[in-house]
Amino acid sequence: MTAPLRFHWRLIQGGDLQGAIAPERLSSAVALPEMAAQIAFCREAEQSGIDSALVDISSAKPDPMVLGMALAASTERLKFMVAHRPGLMSPALFAQQVNTFSTLASGRITLNMVAGYSPAEQLTYGDNAAHDTRYERMKEYLTICDRFWSAEEPVNFSGQHYRIQDGRLRTPFVAPDRSAPEIYVGGGSANAREAASALADCWLRFADTPENVAPQAAAMRLSGTEVGLRLSCIVRPTRREAIAATRGLLDAPAIQRRQGSEASFVKASDAESMRSTYDLGEQEWLTPHLWAGAVQTLGATTIALVGTPDEVVDEIYRFKEAGISQFILHGWPKWEEMRIFCRDVLPLVRQREQMDERGSPPGAELAAVSSQTNGEHGSRRPES
Amino acid sequence: MSGLTHPPRPTAVPRPVDPGKALRFHWSLSQAGNRFRRSEPTEELSGRLPFEAQLELCQCADEHGIDSLLMAIGSTCPDPILLSTCLGLKTRRVKFMVACRPGLISPAAFVQQINTLALFVGGRVHINLVGGHTPHELQYYGDWLPRAERYARLDEFLTACRALWEADGQEVNLAGRYYQITGGRLPTPFSMNGVRRPEIFLEGNSEESAALAIRHADCLWRFAEPPASLADKIAPVIQTGTEVGLLVSLIARPTRDEAVQAGCHLIGQFGEKARAIQRSFERHTDAAAFELTYLARQSLTPWATRTLWTGAVPVLGAPAIALLGSAEEVAGALLEYKEIGVTQFLFTGWPDLDEMTFFGREVLPRVRERENAELKR
Repeated sequence: MTAPLRFHWRLIQGGDLQGAIAPERLSSAVALPEMAAQIAFCREAEQSGIDSALVDISSAKPDPMVLGMALAASTERLKFMVAHRPGLMSPALFAQQVNTFSTLASGRITLNMVAGYSPAEQLTYGDNAAHDTRYERMKEYLTICDRFWSAEEPVNFSGQHYRIQDGRLRTPFVAPDRSAPEIYVGGGSANAREAASALADCWLRFADTPENVAPQAAAMRLSGTEVGLRLSCIVRPTRREAIAATRGLLDAPAIQRRQGSEASFVKASDAESMRSTYDLGEQEWLTPHLWAGAVQTLGATTIALVGTPDEVVDEIYRFKEAGISQFILHGWPKWEEMRIFCRDVLPLVRQREQMDERGSPPGAELAAVSSQTNGEHGSRRPES
Repeated sequence: MSGLTHPPRPTAVPRPVDPGKALRFHWSLSQAGNRFRRSEPTEELSGRLPFEAQLELCQCADEHGIDSLLMAIGSTCPDPILLSTCLGLKTRRVKFMVACRPGLISPAAFVQQINTLALFVGGRVHINLVGGHTPHELQYYGDWLPRAERYARLDEFLTACRALWEADGQEVNLAGRYYQITGGRLPTPFSMNGVRRPEIFLEGNSEESAALAIRHADCLWRFAEPPASLADKIAPVIQTGTEVGLLVSLIARPTRDEAVQAGCHLIGQFGEKARAIQRSFERHTDAAAFELTYLARQSLTPWATRTLWTGAVPVLGAPAIALLGSAEEVAGALLEYKEIGVTQFLFTGWPDLDEMTFFGREVLPRVRERENAELKR
């Protein structure tokens, strides 16, 4: 029995609802929470089967831990995947923040650990560690956190970056089903993969074709770590409409303004995956349903599943066969696309998973669907 | 998406018209739900505190004119920033005085967290800088800096935080010994109404603390001692425009007799075990404020003045120096402190909820009445 695929959605941020496709990186709108709209978005997400909301991190945005906490206080089921950059606070203080969050929101916090991708931005926090050092530090950081969570107290640790003596926290991680938060580690470099396979529940990477993600995904799964993809989504009733939506996106003035800005951002980044994904954007289509047309203007997370609900489900399944079990999605328009996905795509995914569960041979899904629709197995048809 | 309503922008921070005119009162949240918390050994303390009891104390503070709740930091407490977020969303007026230990977080990350919290609670945030009481506990967090250097680091930390708060969109650059910032810019503001930063409180009885408070803080917290001995010590701070506040417990009752009984009853509940815990803490602390109070405690009588009682210090520690008496007496004592320049108080009580309610109903109106009479004169 395989676990169902899990779908997360990137939280809408300030300015996202003003119709802007991509607010300027340092715009004041991005810097402010949109409390009422964000709560409404999260409530809809939790009612529609979204697993967690990704609360991303940047010096230009509100702090994700505090923002996630405020939104958790107004929701019931949705988890918050809080992005965090090790290096800016003591690992024990961080573990304590995570534990406090878990206590106040029934364990609804997961962690998206990112080593940082912009040396300039790290410097604004006083962090001048080089790329590889940041991953070494992340490993120490997560090791310390893990010891606090596994209650092997007192925690004693002596590393290159941290030295902890007799550490004890009286504020445990509290969740109905876990004693530690689920940890996602992002990044494409060998260092990132090593950190993920050693210390994470799931490795997160930018998208590529199912064929290209499969080898690394297989290696990762051998170490017991799941693999998740950052992806975008443009789903429309017909393929023609979906493609028209990609055209509309590229023609938007915001995109025109971003020409060059993304190139220089990537150039200044020391994240390997950001560069290699930028290069992928040379081609507009990676597969017939995987679009990279916005990568060189809107960034690496904009590789998108494009097509009809059926086409997108098929592509998701190709990724599933390549070893991907979780997806962090977003789309345009930012809220509407989540609604479309949850209404038109997610039930099809669940339906197909239930059929797999009953042991239909690969390739027989379509036949099974049509026989179930009006045949003798109709009563077993999964509810959507 | 057009039907969406956007959240109301945070409302104006109610700041005192003239801080010199009306005393301000704050309260510690740390005992909410467990009045005997301070008498328990750290190893046995649970950090899982009852949110409902905390919320009840915050709502009581909201009602009774308490300016803020002190949100403690340490290995035995929930994280103060996140707890303040949840309590702040359910209250309207009371502020949250978030404790911070500079050695544990980058100034920019701290400012970003405080600003985010402040935006959610309409700017109802102060910060309280603490050095940390025991080196032993700081090492849980990986902080090994010797005490002598902690002041220098605190100085840099506040310099960096203030630069980020007061930058007005300009880049912040700082090349310090403990913190460096290059091209720092945090567009998430502390408030939407022009208030650039939280009020800064700083705790400590040492000369270094006073000097730092003068440089960076709005108010210096000191442990309570009789007005006569305190006056000279705080005058240099007050002259610079930095306020001075007192950390003191409160045992106010309708009559003095009842207050004395309450004090006796309080210490009667703690045995030799509590004394041993306090002695052990005393051995491990290196904070000047605590040392001073432990010395004071050696004196023969538990009455430092007619209303300043040290009887609970041996069992509950330095913060248990208490203003004790009838509502009238306690109001009088507060105004005596006001005469020597003390303008703020941070209280604890046993239990907090009853003490705060009594304070709000019986003591505070008497204080305001006398303050108003004073103004008319």
